[in-house]
Amino acid sequence: MLLPLLVVAGIAVGLPLVYAFYLSLTDFSLTQQGVAQIVGADNYIASLTNEGLWGAIGTTFTYVIIAVSFETVIGLLIALSLQKQKWARDITRAMLLAPMFITPIAVGLTFRFLLNDQLGAIPYLLKSLGTNYDFLGSGKALFTLAMIDVWQWTPFMVLLLLAGLESIPKQPLEAARVDGANAVYIFRRITLPLLTPILSVAVLLRSLDALKVFEYVYATTRGGPGTETETIQYFTYQTGIQFFRLGEASSMAFILLLIVLPLIVFLFRRIDRRTSS
Amino acid sequence: MRTSLTKMFAITATTALLAAGCATGTGVEAESSDVGEVAADTSATVRILMEAVPDTDIVQGLIADFNAEYPDITIEIESLAFDQMRDKLIASFQSSDPTYDLIVADNPWMDDFAPAGFLAPLDDRIANTPGLDHEDFFGPLREIAEVDGVTYGVPFYNYALGYLYNEPLLTGAGLSVPTSLDELVTTSKALTSGDQTGLAMQPQRGYKIFEEWANFLFAAGGSIYNEDGSGALDSPEAQAALEAYIDLYNTAAPENSLNWAFDEAFRSVSTGASAAMVSYNWNLPALNSPDAGEFAGNFKLAPMPGGKQVLGSWTWAIPSNSASSDAAWAFVSWLTSKEVDVSRVIAGGAAIRESTLQDERVLAEGFGADYYDAIIAILSNAAPLSEGAGGEEMIQAVGTELSEAVAGTKSVEDALKDANDAINSIQG
Amino acid sequence: MRAQGMMRGVRGIFLITALVVVGFPLVWVTLASFKTPAQLNDPSLIMFSPSLTNWAYVVEEGILQAAGRSALVAFITVAISAIAGSAAAYVISSYKAGGTATRFGILAAQVLPPAVLVFPFLTLAYVTQVNDTLIPLIFAHLSFVLPVVTWFLIGFFDSVPRSLEEQARVDGFSRFKAFLLVVLPQVYPGLGAAIIFGFTLSWNDMFYGLILTPTKSAILPVAIAGFNTFRGVELGSMSAAILVAVIPVLIASFFIQKRLVQGISGGAVKY
Repeated sequence: MLLPLLVVAGIAVGLPLVYAFYLSLTDFSLTQQGVAQIVGADNYIASLTNEGLWGAIGTTFTYVIIAVSFETVIGLLIALSLQKQKWARDITRAMLLAPMFITPIAVGLTFRFLLNDQLGAIPYLLKSLGTNYDFLGSGKALFTLAMIDVWQWTPFMVLLLLAGLESIPKQPLEAARVDGANAVYIFRRITLPLLTPILSVAVLLRSLDALKVFEYVYATTRGGPGTETETIQYFTYQTGIQFFRLGEASSMAFILLLIVLPLIVFLFRRIDRRTSS
Repeated sequence: MRTSLTKMFAITATTALLAAGCATGTGVEAESSDVGEVAADTSATVRILMEAVPDTDIVQGLIADFNAEYPDITIEIESLAFDQMRDKLIASFQSSDPTYDLIVADNPWMDDFAPAGFLAPLDDRIANTPGLDHEDFFGPLREIAEVDGVTYGVPFYNYALGYLYNEPLLTGAGLSVPTSLDELVTTSKALTSGDQTGLAMQPQRGYKIFEEWANFLFAAGGSIYNEDGSGALDSPEAQAALEAYIDLYNTAAPENSLNWAFDEAFRSVSTGASAAMVSYNWNLPALNSPDAGEFAGNFKLAPMPGGKQVLGSWTWAIPSNSASSDAAWAFVSWLTSKEVDVSRVIAGGAAIRESTLQDERVLAEGFGADYYDAIIAILSNAAPLSEGAGGEEMIQAVGTELSEAVAGTKSVEDALKDANDAINSIQG
Repeated sequence: MRAQGMMRGVRGIFLITALVVVGFPLVWVTLASFKTPAQLNDPSLIMFSPSLTNWAYVVEEGILQAAGRSALVAFITVAISAIAGSAAAYVISSYKAGGTATRFGILAAQVLPPAVLVFPFLTLAYVTQVNDTLIPLIFAHLSFVLPVVTWFLIGFFDSVPRSLEEQARVDGFSRFKAFLLVVLPQVYPGLGAAIIFGFTLSWNDMFYGLILTPTKSAILPVAIAGFNTFRGVELGSMSAAILVAVIPVLIASFFIQKRLVQGISGGAVKY
């Protein structure tokens, strides 16, 4: 019964993966003549010593940590509030999901104009309140992009966490309340631990997706100012498709894979051990 | 379970490698055809990939006229935004079964595509097409289409930059059009007061900032390359140009506009929030078009202060794997012929021929004689951003350094030095 | 009691704030879809006479067909993912089949940037002569939808008690029938949840859609990105296109979200 998955995954995931790996071992360029020559680990060495790549990895990890942290905390707060909500439940929940359904490039372009100093509604409001903020300026651009991510993807967290909250057995909560525990205690000692499995899956899936951030950068800053918003996806896109060096770009992707995948396995093993205890 | 997994992996790996073997490398030899005049009864379909710009629309409008002369050639144009277009173009080159029979290539790509064998040489065709008058095309545009002494294309349209300004605002402040870098600085500052800024700049990292700043570089008397092809950005002129650019960004450009590109600057100027911008010469009609806003009609074009400007150019080229190269050439030679070019430019197309800009009808029915005079001045002294292979990468590298300097994260000296090193290592 | 009342107040304010933050850009987009290019440059314009030009233009440009294609690709992707994913998730959950390698291996495609995988997909498409169809795109979408769906379902199957299945076997069901008729229904709600997420992921993809679809058949996000032209972003048209993309899914989610939330809660997600 595992067969259908293996077949489909084999074609959809396996084949491209192996091919991309093969490319990473060649000097393949999109503007070359003739068959690509195998150059072994040359691409990998070039990538590992490429400052730009490590910069992009650092930038992206920072982005992911900021965005996912905000999304988790805000998502949790919204989920907690929605759980207790009595009025207009379905409409509120449906509306709060809306940002997820807009293709990311459109979200990026929309915010590019919403945040535009002269034409955008948001700076307009800020100015009428007397303040001024350089959203896409030096030192602030990455954070702004992370906030765009938060706008679009907190609904995802809300959905998962809300369901998680509603699936927690009521009994321990009731018992604690009867015993006189206050809301914060109940949350910390009972709700949160029971929520951990869902929380970890949500954070995992969201983080993996956030690692691939590209459209927001492409729509607004193109990696600037300087290299402040140059993310991994943007960097590999430039190397592979704009500068035509696809073999090298493939090697960058696999280096990323080698960093991220063990990290995930390690973290999940730890959580597994903790919850089964 | 484990054995079947290993088996699956083995099968997958082998298939992928086989596919890789069949598919990588096009290795198509660029054939040179010498057919210049194409018979009027030729029957073929020409699939063209173009960028979604005003000039493409104008070309589409001329297809009916083309079919009057070549009734059996079907022209299919696919029009996409720049990055999408580039991505699909590369994909088409990579396949043995091509998607396009005629393309337009941006100037940085010519030096990469030609050596790769993607484009068919056109010298023989040009020689055998009477009336094409190849010399009539503006010099800089012809040079862009030539790689290692072989011509691979015919100009489609130019995107040389110029100084677009709001005339009433300028004259109202008692100022005249700046003709030097210093005047540009003082004029822009003088036009900055209250809610109005003097120059809507486009310091977006990468292509935009380099494209805009290079005009400043030329105005300061500098250049991008030395005679021997090495980078010339470590010169005092470059330093002066960058300092002037940063000065203007901090004093005469709209606030918080570090990521601005063409779109934002254009809107800023057309709403009157900024007095001027550095942009493509053919944007003037767009600024002055009736539905552009309340200031339509106020805008004028002048050559860049200093007289030399950055040039970009799109070139018609026939892919070596084109399925209908003769028909493609029929279309291109027809479209760029003197007669048709006049109609094209009257409709708003960007100039490629010297004779067109002096044609009576163009001066009468087009956008005004002084607009065309400005364009002649612009196109006689313009240079592209990059020469040689690796153009895109060099532009991005320099554009990154410039962005660092404007953002204040690198000193002007360091940024220029790093930019220069990049030019030498990428294109040296 | 007073503390409770205050908590309700705080919650209310918090939710309203969230709605405002979420809704602000959406309201802006809706207004923008009715504005003319000149009106779009004015940030303060709320009252104006709406124009339908953008909507007419967008429909004329084939946005509805693009939406149809996106929907087709998404449905097929999700259908395959649901079938293959549920079968696999069941087996992985019950018998720990495949081990760590399978479970984390399928995540590999999630990590790799599409920029790197797109040319392999393209080449494979040419080699197998399917490059002029939507098939390569479906496979590309499968590469990131299938793992997500499978991961979800592993957790759900984990929470179905073994006794249920054992009982079914005792009653004479074959292993497959036990799966299909007894165990799978237990996770229907979770399946629904995974389907919605999978659909969204496929619906939103632009990158693969750009390179892997045949020339005349753009999918929706590619069509939307096409409004980012050289002469500037056609904000009005793009806004109309965004709404065409969002509204159907929003309406569907309004009806499904109840089942969705119940769905995930129907089985606490473990992995």
